[in-house]
Amino acid sequence: MDKALADFVEMLRYSDVPVSISESVDAAETVRLFGYKDRGLLKTALAQVMAKTIEEQESFERCFDEFFSYQINPDLDPENTQEEDENPETSETAKSLPPPTAANDDEGQSSPASGGGEGGGGFSGEQSQGGATAPLIDLLERNDRTELTMAMTAAANAANLRNIVLMTQRGLYTRRIMEGMGLDQVNREISRRNQEGDAAGADRLSGRTELLFDAVRDMVERQLALTSGGKAKQFRQDILKNVRLSNVEHRDFKYMRLLVQRMAKRLTDMNSRVKKVKNRGHLDIRKTMRRNVAYDGILFETHWKQKHKDRPKVLAVCDVSGSVASVARFLLLFLYSLNEVLPKVRSFAFSGDLGEITAEFDRLGPEEAIPYAIDKYGGRSTDYGRALEDFKDLCLNDIDNRTTVIFLGDGRSNGADPRVDILKEIKLRAKRVIWLNPERKSIWGSGDSEMLRIAPYCTTAQTCNSLNKLELILRDLLKSN
Amino acid sequence: MTFIDKDPATAIDLIKEGFETAGYICDRHIATSIYLSQKLDKPILVEGPPGVGKTELAKAASEILSAPLIRLQCYEGLDESKALYEWKYGKQLLYTQILKEKLGDLLEDAVGLEQSMEKLHQFGDSFYSEKFLEARPLLQALQSEEKTVLLIDEIDKSDHEFEAYLLEILSDYQISVPEIGTIKAKTKPLVFLTSNNSREMSDALKRRCLHLYIPFPDASLERRIIQTRVPELEENLRNQLVSFVQQLRTQDLKKLPAVSETIDWARTLMLLHADKLDVDLVRNTLNMLLKFEEDIDNMSSEVPKFIAVARKEFR
Repeated sequence: MDKALADFVEMLRYSDVPVSISESVDAAETVRLFGYKDRGLLKTALAQVMAKTIEEQESFERCFDEFFSYQINPDLDPENTQEEDENPETSETAKSLPPPTAANDDEGQSSPASGGGEGGGGFSGEQSQGGATAPLIDLLERNDRTELTMAMTAAANAANLRNIVLMTQRGLYTRRIMEGMGLDQVNREISRRNQEGDAAGADRLSGRTELLFDAVRDMVERQLALTSGGKAKQFRQDILKNVRLSNVEHRDFKYMRLLVQRMAKRLTDMNSRVKKVKNRGHLDIRKTMRRNVAYDGILFETHWKQKHKDRPKVLAVCDVSGSVASVARFLLLFLYSLNEVLPKVRSFAFSGDLGEITAEFDRLGPEEAIPYAIDKYGGRSTDYGRALEDFKDLCLNDIDNRTTVIFLGDGRSNGADPRVDILKEIKLRAKRVIWLNPERKSIWGSGDSEMLRIAPYCTTAQTCNSLNKLELILRDLLKSN
Repeated sequence: MTFIDKDPATAIDLIKEGFETAGYICDRHIATSIYLSQKLDKPILVEGPPGVGKTELAKAASEILSAPLIRLQCYEGLDESKALYEWKYGKQLLYTQILKEKLGDLLEDAVGLEQSMEKLHQFGDSFYSEKFLEARPLLQALQSEEKTVLLIDEIDKSDHEFEAYLLEILSDYQISVPEIGTIKAKTKPLVFLTSNNSREMSDALKRRCLHLYIPFPDASLERRIIQTRVPELEENLRNQLVSFVQQLRTQDLKKLPAVSETIDWARTLMLLHADKLDVDLVRNTLNMLLKFEEDIDNMSSEVPKFIAVARKEFR
């Protein structure tokens, strides 16, 4: 596989298109078949090989356009440039670049294309040349574009420019690359010339250095544009997964929604599979006969057709009172997503009184449903006792040995009796009772927290203050089916 | 069809033409995926809303490749005995009964249990041989001497297990039958899997397939489709009709009208000898396009507006 394609695959992986190894092999084969000439055709073909859902398709198209419009990036493989030299599109792209601003400033800007074309031998040899062996001063004096580009590429590789993620890293990487190329020496040379009175020489050198700086900055920007979109997103998502729910900012809400949705889907996919073949239902004649051929056709080992699908029935209760206000949105979001992916979820919210919000969740989008729940049930002081009484009245009879009851709350009941007797009753009936508390275990029982009284009546009571924790807890529970 | 050795662009144009002669109007995406699947020996997973011609694609492909179509309709509970293969139990039983006496003769001169067993073992496997194997669609496609088009329709309706059975066929074009061994495809079939996305396919399956998404066609493509499928329809009415349907698709509906519904509607209008869209006619035939009472109610009031736009576009 050529390097351009490998880079492209990497870019896709960062942009939510998980390209597997076999798919990249297919992609290489496709590129071999189609060549780089007809971009439109190649895009269509590669999309079918690499992007396997509609969302991935969108990402793919964006990446493809971005990637191939940056074709003349010095990082690209010289071998391809040869092939693309015949391509009118590439030369167009090259032309569309900002024209050189001064007579001798094109060190980095336009030379990559030509440098790449000539240097078909690959970069491995050139890397050793970069920076160290040919001093930068000399290169600048000679204004040798090709060599400067090589040195720039080598220094960029050494500085791991590929790993750039954030806008704020631009300066850092530019500096590192320049230093890698020998900026210190140049600076010393400039001040030496100034001291020796060679002002014209110093000016010339510093002017060219400035231009080189520009070129390097451009290269860094290009690389940032190329990979960072996806990388930055992933970086952000990774952080969001681990950050405390109460600290998530409002603008990240939509990312969270996406993450939560994905998580809920994964959990249910894992758990909605056909679990058991039961000994009832229709007799499967074929299978029974087949099994009993060995017994001379006497049917004493039966096979039944009916399969039992193990789909969890979930009742979820969410505290939306003031004490958990900061996390309530996310807990509700999680509830909402569960509601979307599981067929039998009933959702309840409370602070004082408790009410069912399943219908609203079904009807409204999360942007409306969640504020609605907080508006309607939030804001009052928490009373777990009353909430549990309401809960009992509403649906105790619906709880059976296949029901999972999830409570999301901090267990702070403002001194009111938390009515653990009702919880006990629920636990007796339900398959399991899960209590997820955003507070750390060490402060359970402090102040008005009733967690220590509540916990014994739950199958599990856990701290749950980040998405990752939430996922781990639920996965364990669903697994231990 | 001999497009295989041509260069890609020519081959894809050839495929497109081929489909058009078979009455299936397709765009470059579809032709590309057929070409790729032939070149890379990969199945095609076709997704898209219902009624955009996913199943038709397989039928048309079978026509232009002049390869017989083997179709497997998926549903919940479909298992390997209906999709892959099954033993002919009846025949096996019958044969054991008939051969009972023969066995007695064969074992006559054997001394002791061990020798009899030894002799029996020589015939043992004949009951589980290909003669007793009932080929179901997937196996049929593999056993066929000539090239076939295998259509696995609505794969999203099947169970996870079934998806797993398919993996071996999709990647290696072979089936492992425990009693016999591995059966390899004599000629690799062209495989289409269609899905309405009622559930997400597993990554393993998606990885083995090319992915082709067929969206609702744009106006010009849809006009060409109607032209091919209902050639008797007058041009002006065809244009108005397509414009009307395209407008409907921009609305919030429970079920958007698909191409197949546009075709049905075009046929209806033709039968009614309509020569232009008018409000009453459209309201009376709206049930050809919209399949929910709620949608029909909501759209009834919009009909005059849509017709006005359609007429303005094509007078």
